[in-house]
Amino acid sequence: MDVEPILKVTNLTKKFGNLVAVNRASFEVNHGEIVGLIGPNGAGKTTLFNAISGLYRPEEGTIFFKGMNITNWLPHKICKLGMSRTFQVTRAFTHMTVEDTVRVGAYNRFNEKNVQDKVDQVIKVCDLVDIRKRVCEDLGLASLRKVELARALATEPVMLLLDEAGAGLNATELAAFMDLIKKLNQESQITFCVVEHVMQMVMGLCQQIVVLDSGEIIASGTPNQISNNVRVIEAYLGKRAVHARNQ
Amino acid sequence: MNVKNIFNPRNILILIGVGIALAIPLMFNASQYVMLLMTTVLLYAILASAWNIIGGMAGQLDLAAAAYLGLGAFTTGTLLIRWNITPWVGMFLGGLVATALAMLIGFPLFGFKVKELWYALSSSALVVVLQSLFMMWNEVGGPTEKYLPIGTSPWYSLRFNNYMPYYYIMLIILVVVLLVNRWIRYSKLGYSLMALGEDEDAVEVLGVNSQSSKLKALAIYAFICGVVGGIFASIYGYVHPAFFDTSMSMEITILGIVGGMGFIYGPALAAIIMVSFREILRASLGSQLAGLYLAVYAIILIVVALYQPRGIAPLVERGLKKAQTYFVELTRGRRADIKSH
Amino acid sequence: MLETATQGIITGILMGAIYALIALGLSIVFGIMNVTNFAHGDFVMLSMYLSFAVGSALAWDAVATPLITAPLMFLFGIITYYLLIDRTLRQMYVVQLAVTVGLQILMRSVALIIWQAQPRALQYSFIQGNIQIAGFEILTSRLFSAVVSLIFIAGMAYFMNKTWAGRAMRAASDDLGAASLMGVNYHKTYALTFAIGSSITALAGGLVMSFQQTDPVGGIRFGLLSWAVLALAGLGSLPGLIVAGIIVGVVESLTVSFFDPRSRLLGVYAIFILVLWLRPRGLFGRR
Repeated sequence: MDVEPILKVTNLTKKFGNLVAVNRASFEVNHGEIVGLIGPNGAGKTTLFNAISGLYRPEEGTIFFKGMNITNWLPHKICKLGMSRTFQVTRAFTHMTVEDTVRVGAYNRFNEKNVQDKVDQVIKVCDLVDIRKRVCEDLGLASLRKVELARALATEPVMLLLDEAGAGLNATELAAFMDLIKKLNQESQITFCVVEHVMQMVMGLCQQIVVLDSGEIIASGTPNQISNNVRVIEAYLGKRAVHARNQ
Repeated sequence: MNVKNIFNPRNILILIGVGIALAIPLMFNASQYVMLLMTTVLLYAILASAWNIIGGMAGQLDLAAAAYLGLGAFTTGTLLIRWNITPWVGMFLGGLVATALAMLIGFPLFGFKVKELWYALSSSALVVVLQSLFMMWNEVGGPTEKYLPIGTSPWYSLRFNNYMPYYYIMLIILVVVLLVNRWIRYSKLGYSLMALGEDEDAVEVLGVNSQSSKLKALAIYAFICGVVGGIFASIYGYVHPAFFDTSMSMEITILGIVGGMGFIYGPALAAIIMVSFREILRASLGSQLAGLYLAVYAIILIVVALYQPRGIAPLVERGLKKAQTYFVELTRGRRADIKSH
Repeated sequence: MLETATQGIITGILMGAIYALIALGLSIVFGIMNVTNFAHGDFVMLSMYLSFAVGSALAWDAVATPLITAPLMFLFGIITYYLLIDRTLRQMYVVQLAVTVGLQILMRSVALIIWQAQPRALQYSFIQGNIQIAGFEILTSRLFSAVVSLIFIAGMAYFMNKTWAGRAMRAASDDLGAASLMGVNYHKTYALTFAIGSSITALAGGLVMSFQQTDPVGGIRFGLLSWAVLALAGLGSLPGLIVAGIIVGVVESLTVSFFDPRSRLLGVYAIFILVLWLRPRGLFGRR
């Protein structure tokens, strides 16, 4: 079965003045996969996400999504094509209610006549029924993360980028979040690419892991392969840890 | 449809408001001064409500209302003076001219993601620039007033000798603008604008084309200001570059802000209260030191902005909610009484 | 025509230095405190009126009036800060806008009340008259004002970069929340900053009064000029402010020479818009 990857990033480079944040990064994501993007702080993961989702313009490289070259596309066009994302620091619509927030996303595919059904559906799936009328600025972190996910989900994406969506959640919240992602992945066939520090989430969810360090992709493979990869350990814990391990 | 639901405090208030608004000319037509006051109040209410679309909903601090108003005025006036085209048509064309300028300015500005402050400043400067331009353009503007002819039919040239017709025309326009506000607010555009006002990048990744949304809001707002400009010229009976008045622009923006950004009736309510207040101040203090009433007015504006920054509308909403609960209790109590008998 | 152009350029350079001074006050308030004072131009207008009042009452030269008006405007700045600005710092941006616009209306109406609508000017200045250099006329008052402006800006640059107090002020431009969490009393620093910005307008006002008159609506013009200079210069560079001031001054001057005196603001506005579109950071800006 030869199917094109849903996302194909080739030699992506993003510079800020003289600082090279992402250096010739290449990786692929297949339909229906959950791919994890990990790496030490400052490795360039969010920059990579921003470049893919259209918020940054890369200096070099190409991004192919669903077979189309979206490298210089504006974010809203990319969303129309089927990719949406959440943000590392939740960027809620502070003064809007949960329901209205989701509605904004739902308008991506629906119009005034049938948008309400979609809104109701997403609110149910993301377990936001109790707080649907509450204003975002009154919500706690876990709820805000759900809202971020919900509004991105409402755009009916075929691929979702989650940027550190698991950060700051306690064990119960994390488990629920992971279940939700699994469900969306299996039932709605949504492909996921998640930037994560929470290893439990990465190891538990991802079929493929891509490791970024100082702007470069240093490894990619299954969770098992990655956890045994010398370069990865080096990146996280330094050369001495590898040395100690080999003793 | 539960008949009881219709008779809630909000609707009752609206009904009373409409009733008063309709009755005013009949009560006060004797005093042209009061009529002019009321018409001025309506004028500001319309402009502030139009501003709500670009300012309250889209979150863009536009200070160019007078620019669009003035353009509409000059278009209408010039068309009437030179080619005897009725202001009914002229207004509409004036709106289009204003919109054209708005697009010209807005397109690059929004495209380059000019931040809040700079948009406010450049829109404010636009008013000053237009005033200079029209001062120099002697055929159409120039330093002296260009008077609008009365012609044979007051309804054709929109030049009445009392304010009542103007009042009713403005009232109708206000209702239309409020309805437009409402329609936008609950439409896809409205939600996009509200979200865009909160976080432009976040909204883009949800599929909202922020530039085109902003331009749409700007176009509607500029069009309304341009149309109103036409009536403005008709009321005053002349056109003059002083119509490009930065103070007026700023006042409209402040009314939009203290009314409650995004609330449909907020700016109109603020306009009604504040402008009435201002004119009453002008009447009582204006004959003394010129500028005194403005000073008092400015202080009131500052105080409201400082202590009630979310605007008057949230207060009204709270009041309405309380009234609502009280109302429900009242009717429920009644039904309980009836049942227990 | 070349002569007109050169004369225009010379005038423009001199005026530009003064505009840079006015913009300096704004740059300090906006750059350090991130406060948008829409009424800045009207601060200048008020300063000019105060200079008029002091100069008339004491028969002083316009350029000497800042000795009194600067402390007055300093005080005014402190009062304005605590009454109005301080409360707006933690609120939505629109509140600051609304408040300073309200302040603008207030200042104009107060000027109208006290001094009425006709323009006011001071008569006696020891720097009246003009100098002839290579056949071009230069108003001594303008030359003097320009020089004083440049000296002051240079002094300010020294203060900001070399003295402890100046660097502390620049440091206070960091995260407001973090600063206060660490116990820094930002209120006082900000009040001081705002007051300094305000007293700079007093100096500029005094200088300008030596060759111009003042009226209640002058604030609009000075407001546009200072924001245009600031936009062109960007934040963080005082030499940049001078260059930007000169560019704006020259453009204004040439517009007046070659078009219509009434069009003076058009050229400035054109620059303003172009800068915002093409180089929002300003020519020399760091942010």
